[in-house]
Amino acid sequence: MKIRITEYLDIDLAAETWCCHGCGQKFGNARDNYKKGLLIAERPLEEVHQPLVTGEQFSFKPDPDYCRLIELYCPNCGALIDNEYLPPGHPLTHDIELDIDALKQKHGI
Amino acid sequence: MTSSYYGRDEEVVQRLRPEPMTAEEEAAQAGIEDIDFDIFRHKMHMIALEGKETTMKLGASTAMRWGDVAFGIFTAQGDLAICATGIYHHAVLGQIPIKYIVKHWRDEPSVGVRDGDAFFYNDPFYGGVHAADMGLAIPVFAGNRLICFVGAAVHTGECGGTEPGGTVQNAKSKYYEGLQMPPIKVGEKYALREDLLNMFAAMNRDPRTMILDLKARLAAARIVQRRILALVNEKGADFVIGALRRVLKVTGEAARQKIAALNDGVYRQPRFLDMVGSEPGLTRINLTVIKKGDRLTLDLTGSSPMLHDKPLNSFFQGLIGLAMVYFCGWFFHDLPANNGLLEAVDWKFPDDSLVNAKGEVSTSLAPVVQSYFAHAMFLCGARMVYSSDPKRAVAAWFSGFAIPIYAGVNQAGEPVADITPEINATGAGGRSDMDGVDGAGAFFATVSDCSDVEATEADRPVVYLFRNFFNGSYGHGKYRGGAGAGIGLMVHHVPWLAMGSMGAGAHFPSTLGLFGGNAVPPTFVQTVDGSNMKALMRANDSPIARSLAEVYSAMNPEQGERKFNDIDMVVRPRLNGDTSYISVSGGGGYGDPIEREPAAVLRDLKFGRTTAWAAQNIYHVVYDPDSLRLDEAATTARRQEVRQHRIARGRPYDEFMAEWRKLTPPKDILKYYGSYPDPEAGFAPQALPKAVNM
Repeated sequence: MKIRITEYLDIDLAAETWCCHGCGQKFGNARDNYKKGLLIAERPLEEVHQPLVTGEQFSFKPDPDYCRLIELYCPNCGALIDNEYLPPGHPLTHDIELDIDALKQKHGI
Repeated sequence: MTSSYYGRDEEVVQRLRPEPMTAEEEAAQAGIEDIDFDIFRHKMHMIALEGKETTMKLGASTAMRWGDVAFGIFTAQGDLAICATGIYHHAVLGQIPIKYIVKHWRDEPSVGVRDGDAFFYNDPFYGGVHAADMGLAIPVFAGNRLICFVGAAVHTGECGGTEPGGTVQNAKSKYYEGLQMPPIKVGEKYALREDLLNMFAAMNRDPRTMILDLKARLAAARIVQRRILALVNEKGADFVIGALRRVLKVTGEAARQKIAALNDGVYRQPRFLDMVGSEPGLTRINLTVIKKGDRLTLDLTGSSPMLHDKPLNSFFQGLIGLAMVYFCGWFFHDLPANNGLLEAVDWKFPDDSLVNAKGEVSTSLAPVVQSYFAHAMFLCGARMVYSSDPKRAVAAWFSGFAIPIYAGVNQAGEPVADITPEINATGAGGRSDMDGVDGAGAFFATVSDCSDVEATEADRPVVYLFRNFFNGSYGHGKYRGGAGAGIGLMVHHVPWLAMGSMGAGAHFPSTLGLFGGNAVPPTFVQTVDGSNMKALMRANDSPIARSLAEVYSAMNPEQGERKFNDIDMVVRPRLNGDTSYISVSGGGGYGDPIEREPAAVLRDLKFGRTTAWAAQNIYHVVYDPDSLRLDEAATTARRQEVRQHRIARGRPYDEFMAEWRKLTPPKDILKYYGSYPDPEAGFAPQALPKAVNM
C-alpha cells in the first residue's frame, strides 16, 4: 500500500520504503531521510534566477557567499523531488521524519 | 502597584493559552443552547468586523487605513475569543496587555478598571512585535459586572525612535526605539486624558497620525461596546460571559481533533536571514515541528544567538503570534480564530537566542524575524498536511518586508512619517492546484489593501512613476507564485524627504518555494540621486521606464547617481526629483517548473506575467516567439532532455556531501551566526557583554 506524502514522494508502507510518485523508483528506508536515495546537484544560481543587473552588488540573483541552490532528483526519471536554498556547506535538511509504526497502525498494516 | 516591582512581568507573557475557566463562566454554560451559541458566534464576529472597519475608516496611518488592523473581543480574563482580522498575531498577542491590565491594574487603587476607561499599550514585550505596533483596549461593563474587553491593535507608522518610520535599523538596545508604553490608562469616564495625548504627540514625529490612530481605536471600541451591551440586554450577561468562554473550549477541542488526523512525525525547516539591521550578516532560525497524537510542539533549538547590539531579535511570544497567523489563516482555516487553538500547541525556545529576546536588546526588526519563522511554519505545515489534505499545502507568500520608509514634511506642511502601503501588495504562494494570486496582500494581513496610488500621493510628498506587477518578483514552479509589485517613487512637492526601506532578502531569498518550486528572487533598492526624471517628464520626448523590467533595460533614459542598496536601507535625505525603485516581491513557487502546463506559461507571456527568458530557460517551453504558438512535441522532447540532463548531473548523496561539506560562507558574514553550521554547537560569537545599556 502506497501513501502519498508530498507532490513527488510516496511511502510503500509494507516495504517501508520511500518511492518516486511519478515512476515508483524506490529511494530507501522510509525511516531514514529520503534525500539519501536521490541524486543531488548544486545548480548554478544564474540558471534559475536571471540577473537583471551586471557589475553591481545586487542583481535579483542570490549572493553565492550566502546562498546556494541544491536540487534533488529521482535517479530513474529525473523528476525534481525537491530543492533547498542553503548557505555553502550547510547540511541538507531532514525535513520529513515520519513515525512509520504509527503510520502503519493508522492504515491497518 | 499591587504587583511587587516596576519591571517586566515575565509571568503574564507566558499566558497565551486560555485561562482556567472561572466559576462564573462554568455556571453560565448550562444556560446556553447550541443554536443560540451558533447565532452568538456569528453575531459577535460581525460586531468585531464592524470594529475593524470602523478603525480603518477613522485612522490615519498607512497600516490602519489599508487594513492591517486586528480587532478583538476578549473575555474578562483577557483571552481572545473573537477577532476580525487577517493580521491574527496582533489579535492574539493583544491578550497579553489585557491580562496585564487584569493582573496589575484591576485591583490597584491608583489605577483600577472601571466603566469608561481606556488603556493604551505599545511596549513590544507585551505587544509581542515592535514598538510601532500599538493597541488600545477598553473594558465592557454591564452595571458593575465586567463582561469582557474589546480593542484594536494596529501598526502606527512612527514611534519616535532614533530613526523615523517605526523601525530603527541601527538600534543597539531598546532605548533607541522610542515610545515603549506598558499598558497605561489613557482615558476614564469616557474621556481621553488630554495631558497624556499631549505627551504622546510630543514623543512622535507624526503627532497627527499618532493621535488620530489612537482615537480611531477608541471610537471603534466604543461602537463595539454598544453592540455587545445591546446583546447583553437581549440575552443576559451570563449568556455572553459563558458563550465567550465556550468559543475557546470548542475551538481547543476541534484543534486537537484536527491535529490528531495528521501523520505523526517530525518536520524541519531552517530559515536564513541575511542582515542584522543596517549591516549584512547571516543568521539562522531553526524550526522543528513535532506532531504526536493531538499535539504540536514548535521547537526553535538550533537558532542563532541573541544579537546584543542589533535590532534583529524577537520575543518568543511574537513568534507564537506569527504561528497563529499560519494556524488561523491556513492550518486551522475552518476553525474559529482565537487562542483556544493554542490548547493543542506547545513550544520550546532556547535561551540566548534571537528568537527569545531578553533584557534590553532591541526588537525593532522583530517583524522580519517573525515572518521568516512563519515561513518555516508554512513549509513544515505543507509537509504535514499534504498527505491528508493536499489543497492546504501552499508555498509561502512573500515575507512581506521590502517596504519604503519615509519621514519629513508633506506638501501641506504637515509632518509625516510612515511606510508605503505596498506591504499589502505581495504575491501569494503557489499551491497544489493553482498559481499564487498576484498582488494578493500580505500573508500576515490577508484582509488588507494597498491603496490607490492617488490616495497615497494626496498627502505624501511622492509621485508614483509606476506601480504594477513585476514579472521578476516571484518563484517559478509547476504552479508559480503570485506576482508582487514593482514600484518607482519620486520625491515631489517638497525640497527633501528622508527615505529608506525596511526588509530582508537582498542576498539570500526571503521566501522559499515548496516541493521543488523556486524561491523568490532577492530584492533590493535602486536609488537615483540627482535624477533627470523631472526633465524627462517635462520634455516628454523619450519613453521613461513604466515597470521594473524597463528600469533595468538598456533603453532606460534616466540619468543620475545610481546606487544599488540593501533592502534594509537606513533613511537618508532624498531631494526633490530623486527616485527609488523597489520590488515588493511575490510568492514562492510550487513543484517542478517543467511540469507547468505550457499553455499557462504562454498565457503568462502574453500578459507580461513572465519573461521569454523564463519561458525558455525555466519552463523549457518551445514556441513561436511572434505568434506564441506552442510546439507541443518539441516542448515534450525538450523537457525530457532536461530530465536526462538532471540524471547525468546529479551525484549520489554520499558523493555529493563529501564535496559539499568542504564549503563554508566567508567568515565576515558569519559574525552573528554562532558556530557554523549549528549555531549552538560552539562559541558564543559576540564580544559585547550580555547586559548592555547604550
